[in-house]
Amino acid sequence: MAEASASIYLDYAASTPVDPRVADLMAGLLRSSGEHGNPSSTHALGRRATARIAAAAEQLGALLNTEPARLTWTSGATESDNLAILGAARLAQHRGRHLITMRTEHKAVTDAFGRLQREGFEVTWLDPGSDGRLGLAGLEAAFRAETQLVSVMHVNNETGVIQDIAAIGALCRARGVLFHVDAAQSVGKLPLDLSELPVDLLSMTAHKIYGPKGIGALYVADRPDVAVEALLYGGGQQRGLRPGTLPTHQIAGFGLAAEIARESMQADLERITRLRDRLWDGIRDLPGIHVNGSRDAGFAGILNVSIEDVEGESLLLALEPLCVATGSACNSTNAEPSYVLRALGRSDALAQSAIRFSFGRQTTRGEIDAAIERYRLAVGRLRALAPERAA
Amino acid sequence: MSADPYSARVRTLFEHPAHAGSLEQGPQVLIEDQGVRIALAARAEDGRIRALRFRAYGCPHVVAAAEALCERLEGRPVTDLETFEAAQLVRELPVPAEKTGRILVIEDAARSLGKTLRGNSGS
Repeated sequence: MAEASASIYLDYAASTPVDPRVADLMAGLLRSSGEHGNPSSTHALGRRATARIAAAAEQLGALLNTEPARLTWTSGATESDNLAILGAARLAQHRGRHLITMRTEHKAVTDAFGRLQREGFEVTWLDPGSDGRLGLAGLEAAFRAETQLVSVMHVNNETGVIQDIAAIGALCRARGVLFHVDAAQSVGKLPLDLSELPVDLLSMTAHKIYGPKGIGALYVADRPDVAVEALLYGGGQQRGLRPGTLPTHQIAGFGLAAEIARESMQADLERITRLRDRLWDGIRDLPGIHVNGSRDAGFAGILNVSIEDVEGESLLLALEPLCVATGSACNSTNAEPSYVLRALGRSDALAQSAIRFSFGRQTTRGEIDAAIERYRLAVGRLRALAPERAA
Repeated sequence: MSADPYSARVRTLFEHPAHAGSLEQGPQVLIEDQGVRIALAARAEDGRIRALRFRAYGCPHVVAAAEALCERLEGRPVTDLETFEAAQLVRELPVPAEKTGRILVIEDAARSLGKTLRGNSGS
């Protein structure tokens, strides 16, 4: 516990702390004698649980400006991505077996596409520009008559780069191609109006917006050609699309987190923008520092920087007690440079030195100032420790 | 679900590398391999290592191993450099198996420095 209290948490893109109001609601539901009914049961307690879930769907639907009936509860964004991509591609393979995505997608997407490749689907992997954005001309050139699905994330989880999903969706819709968006990093943080956006499938999760882990949702647009087939089989819940007993307390927590996000989104965004700019202003003069992605086209909640001549794993350790993410898929056994940063054209060394700072509702200016001081000290110390390269 | 990848010993050596730096006098070797860059410098008198310093670009295990090497060999006979085996550090720290190659770079540097010192002494 002492370790946790001494930490400075700047890893909100990985997960957010549960909002106390959400935690209180969930704890109450777990404790209460009247909320343990199975939502599939028709008796009074079952109906109470069903009402709780319906209310949560209303809250999430209001955040996204969509009908609650368009939302299917899942265990999180990974399951939503899998359900959308595998479920849509397999169901609609009679329309074609060509799929398009980007190399910078989350593993939950790239691995799902990899699975489909092994099933005989053909996948076009698009590279971003050096700013991380998808060029629309490249997407247009990739379309084929047999293309049936495109998947592009809204906000990149490593760099914060925002893709123009309205424009991408319009291109897809003009060709009758399904469009899936992994919005795990943007739901509740950026405005998303699903009544306007040409998006067919959208994945989201609660734990990035101060809700609980273990609950997410998939939006499926109400259009005749948009459908997915189930990955699980069981009790027929959620129209058979995602069977299994619904976790009332998790869903209620997600719903409240969505409602809070809707109310505080603008203020949150303005605040984290100031914090992001303060951090960057505090380190931007360090020689050899680079922003990964684009600050102009990036979500303010994420700042990913690489620095020359500093080894990434040592930097991460020297930054303690900051809780940040490295740019590599790094743990002690895997120091592979990030495939996302490599796709942006970063060298292995620069990709490996990347640090992702991500901010949230509880981040303070004092924490940002501490992060600036710690980063500058760590870089200076590690550079002083390193020998000159051989001539 | 990740355990701390660093032992207390690695953390201590990484955070307080008392032998980091260089020497004004004495030979120095520099080896770069496996994404690691190691410089070792020594001052020897009467066949013994009187001072041993390192500089390192590498992961925390590399920095800790270089510091541990200096700690271990300072004051020892120069010949110990040439017979030094990285396996000692791999066990002591410990170093995960997939990083053993990086620690071998330190062994190479130690042996190279030992050879240089022997050459300088004319033996």
